[in-house]
Amino acid sequence: MDPQLTSQIVPAEEIKVIEECLVRLAEDTGGNYVLLLDKSGQVITAQGDAARQDITALGALIAGTFASSREVAKLLREKDFRQLFTQGVRENIFISLIEDQWILCIIFNKGTHIGLVKVLTKKATDDLSVVLERVREHQKARDDVLGSSFRTSMEDTIDLLFRD
Amino acid sequence: MALINVAAREIHCKIVYYGPGMSGKTSNLQYIHSQVPKEAKGELLSIATETERTLFFDFLPLDLGKVRGFQTRFHLYTVPGQVLYERTRVAVLSGADGVVFVADSQKHKLEENIRSLRELAINITRQNKRFQDFPIVLQYNKRDVPGALPVATLDKYLNTLGWQRFEATATIGAGVFDTLKAISKLVISKL
Repeated sequence: MDPQLTSQIVPAEEIKVIEECLVRLAEDTGGNYVLLLDKSGQVITAQGDAARQDITALGALIAGTFASSREVAKLLREKDFRQLFTQGVRENIFISLIEDQWILCIIFNKGTHIGLVKVLTKKATDDLSVVLERVREHQKARDDVLGSSFRTSMEDTIDLLFRD
Repeated sequence: MALINVAAREIHCKIVYYGPGMSGKTSNLQYIHSQVPKEAKGELLSIATETERTLFFDFLPLDLGKVRGFQTRFHLYTVPGQVLYERTRVAVLSGADGVVFVADSQKHKLEENIRSLRELAINITRQNKRFQDFPIVLQYNKRDVPGALPVATLDKYLNTLGWQRFEATATIGAGVFDTLKAISKLVISKL
C-alpha cells in the first residue's frame, strides 16, 4: 500500500516527550497556549492555561491557514512559508512548520516578546523534528495498536450513528 | 493521513466533500449536522461569502464515541466549488483520508463535473498519492431536478474507476447518510 495512505500512529511515550516540549515552550515564553497539529488539522496534543472548548475548530482553521499560505508560496515561487505570525489586540499567534507534517502553534499575549517566541519556537521545532523522525521510523502495524476486530466494531458504530 | 494518538487513545480521520460549485457539498454537511445526535457533533463552521457561497471551507467534527477503547473522530470538510478557488481546494485537501465527490445531476453541469473530477485526480496525485487507490465515493446529487441525467450516463462519464456511488437529494437528506457511511467505512478499511 502507498505509505501516504496509512495512518500515523503516535506512541504514548512520544506523546509524553511532545507534551514536555510544549509545556517547556509555554513556560519559557510565558505563552498562554501551545498546540501541536497534524497538517490535516487534527490536534495531536495541546498544553495551556485553560481548557478551551474550541480546540478542534482552532486546529482546522490554523491548518487551513497554513495550507493556504503554502499555495501562496508556490505562486510566489517560494519553497514554502515556514512561519506565520498573526497579531491581535489581546493575543498573538505564532505558527511554525515541522518538516512537512506537523504544525506547532503558540498563542501568547502582549506580555511576551515575539523575538523570544521565535527563538524558543525554533528550538522546540528542532526537538519535535527528532520526535517526528522517530514516529515515522517506528510505525507499528495497525492491528498491534487497534486490535484485529476494530474494523468490525467501527462499522457497527457507523451504521448505528449515521442514519436519518 | 489518519492520526492515531495512542496516549489519548484517539483516532482522527479527515473526509473532504469535493465537486463543482453549487453541487450540494455544503447541503450534505448541513443535513448531517441537523440529524446527528448532539453529543456526537461539534459546531458546523462555515467560512462563506456574504451570499453564502463557500469561500474557504465548511467544517463539521463528528465524534463517534469509544470504539474498542479508542475515541474516534471524523472531521468533515467541504471545498469551495467555484473555478477560481482551485488553490484553496488544494489547501483543504491536504492530509485528507477520503473524498466524497458530489456531482450535480443536471444535464448542463456534466462538463463541470468532469472538469472538477479531473482536477481532483491531479490534486490527489500532487500529494504523492495514487488516485486509483485513494478512498473515493461518488454522490449523484440533485436527483429530484426535472431532466436529471440518467445514472447510466453519469456512470459512463464520471465512474470509470468503479467507485461506490449513491443517488442523492441532499437538501432533503436522501442518500446523504448512505454516502457518509460508505466513505467512513472505506477510510476505516485503509487505516
